[in-house]
Amino acid sequence: MSQFNVKRPIVGLPEQDPEPQFSDDELVWTDDEQAKIERWKGQYPDPKAAIMNVLWLAQEKFGWLPPEVIQLCADTLDMDYARAFGVATFYTQYYKEEQGEYVLDVCTCFSCQMMGGYDIFHYLEEKLGIHDGETTDDGTFTLKEVECLGCCGSAPMMQVSNGPYVHNLTKEKVDQLIENLRAGQMPTFTSVTLPQDEDEMGGNRRTDVQPEQVETYQTPPRAEATE
Amino acid sequence: MEATNGTPQSKAGDWRSYERVLLPPVKDLHRLEVYEQHGGYDALRTVLTDDSLTPGDVTQAVKESGLRGRGGAGFSTGMKWSFMPEPDDRPRYLACNADESEPGTFKDRQLMEYNPHLMFEGILIACYAMQIDACYVYTRGEYVDWIDHMQVELDKLYDKGYVGDNIMGTGFSTEIVMHKGAGAYICGEETSLLESLEGKRGYPRYKPPFPAQKGAWSQPTTINNVETLACVPLIVNRGAEWFASTGAEQHPGPVLYGISGHVNRPGVYEYPTGMLITDLIDEVAGGVRGGKALKALIPGGASVPPLRADMIEGVTMDAESLREAGSLFGTGGMLILDEDTDMVSWLRRVTHFYQHESCGQCTPCREGTGWLEQIVTRIDEGEGRLRDLDLLLELGDQMEGRTICAFADAAVWPVRNTVKRFREEFEAKCKKSVHPTGAEVSAGAETAA
Repeated sequence: MSQFNVKRPIVGLPEQDPEPQFSDDELVWTDDEQAKIERWKGQYPDPKAAIMNVLWLAQEKFGWLPPEVIQLCADTLDMDYARAFGVATFYTQYYKEEQGEYVLDVCTCFSCQMMGGYDIFHYLEEKLGIHDGETTDDGTFTLKEVECLGCCGSAPMMQVSNGPYVHNLTKEKVDQLIENLRAGQMPTFTSVTLPQDEDEMGGNRRTDVQPEQVETYQTPPRAEATE
Repeated sequence: MEATNGTPQSKAGDWRSYERVLLPPVKDLHRLEVYEQHGGYDALRTVLTDDSLTPGDVTQAVKESGLRGRGGAGFSTGMKWSFMPEPDDRPRYLACNADESEPGTFKDRQLMEYNPHLMFEGILIACYAMQIDACYVYTRGEYVDWIDHMQVELDKLYDKGYVGDNIMGTGFSTEIVMHKGAGAYICGEETSLLESLEGKRGYPRYKPPFPAQKGAWSQPTTINNVETLACVPLIVNRGAEWFASTGAEQHPGPVLYGISGHVNRPGVYEYPTGMLITDLIDEVAGGVRGGKALKALIPGGASVPPLRADMIEGVTMDAESLREAGSLFGTGGMLILDEDTDMVSWLRRVTHFYQHESCGQCTPCREGTGWLEQIVTRIDEGEGRLRDLDLLLELGDQMEGRTICAFADAAVWPVRNTVKRFREEFEAKCKKSVHPTGAEVSAGAETAA
């Protein structure tokens, strides 16, 4: 029987009037940010289309999107709060709850599942003592089970904090990653080479990435969790 | 399938000596300088400066090349372009679909990383052919690193005068804007993509009106996949005949196969369409991992019906051959599963994916995908009954074709075909039924598959 049962959090209704997390003084854009927003507004026939960019910017600035931050985004674009809230809640990458310092998005969609995505996910659950959607007590890590990240060839894989991808995961690689993150060191961008390039031009075709940033497609490991 | 002397024939010709054109072996091709040294933007220059080449001629060439969309539906690109109304005073838009959220598909990411200018050039030629005012490249939010890479190259294009006002001094103007999504599978669906582009929840729209009549901001809009647009400069440079004669007749051209799963050498490979599936698995991808036997193949992403190993003999990777075999070409993202795979557990995860990604707009899909997951989970956990299999099939009938977009259909196809094609595995996991007389009813006795 498949052992990939994941303890999924029961998602309750959001509080009606939660305590604001940020003061009015904090809820302002810097001149740089304002310039960016103006540029985005000019890129669309209707400036409201920039809401996704503005929410991204807000999330980078504040870490997550409590109601007052969404309100700020809505006001910036002169749109209704409800519409901005609707956008923020539709897309999974916008954080509606406070997250740990690093968010570990482990792909467990079926391509990764078949290559051991759940082995990695369960290993992390055990290692960090948290389940899907939870944050460690020290606020360092949030673990998430996510859908396909578009790296099925280098499965199993994960994304760190909506940023770099880490490919061809093994337990050793996960240990190393966690150690690096605890030391404040984010993984760098990794370029995955094409098998045909390996045959025709000796692997990596980019001279602007360092050798340690290059990853090859590998024979996938055996998955334990689904056997 | 054409067979001579009983030997299955590839439609890809002499594929072993195929020279790649989408991802040619050139170092640093992603940089504008290198791309131009290798004939980059010649096609755009030809199209813009050759007075005998009207926008209609470009569309006609794309139509004649037989290029079919690489995003999954496989619709004729030239035909799609010709649906755009005659230019009037309304603005016109192109959306480049770089959402690539179909599980099992990872080809566009490699194209965006290693040859983004081929995509940009294709976009600009398409903009000329349809007289587009602005193109939005809708990239999924997870691909943030690749968006940054493309933005660097796009800025170079603006600096050089290849995008923006008065391109190459020809008086033709168009803009390219990178738009970053934020994690929603449904935004790969074209009308949902447009909603998302407008800064709304990604709810698909009713069709008609089709995007060519009323698309982004209610203006004429065309949506094309990254790989589709990357094929356009090749058609201009090498001619529609060259393109039409590459690969399978009905579904021609070079294509990126994303091979993943239990194979020795997974990865993105460029070959013509019409490759024998057996060649792709055994030779290109180095065979099934650990010398095991093949059990199942999903030829084009999550939404296409899986094929059993005994169904792929002589089948080639093109729309016609795969349809005859009982599947679809989809995105060309092939997932290979070996003999040890538990298909019930696999399907359970597939249904979870659809349950998670359903946008919630139409009831049959929102509720149905949840039902599918719960029933398959029940079977997987050994609590299912034989009648659950029929319930799954019946549920599929209630969902398919009853929703605004094709998401519900895409959720049903893998379920229906996995249950039908691997029924014994599902039956083996179900509880045995007991007849009122006390006799145990053997598996499969309830219904014939």
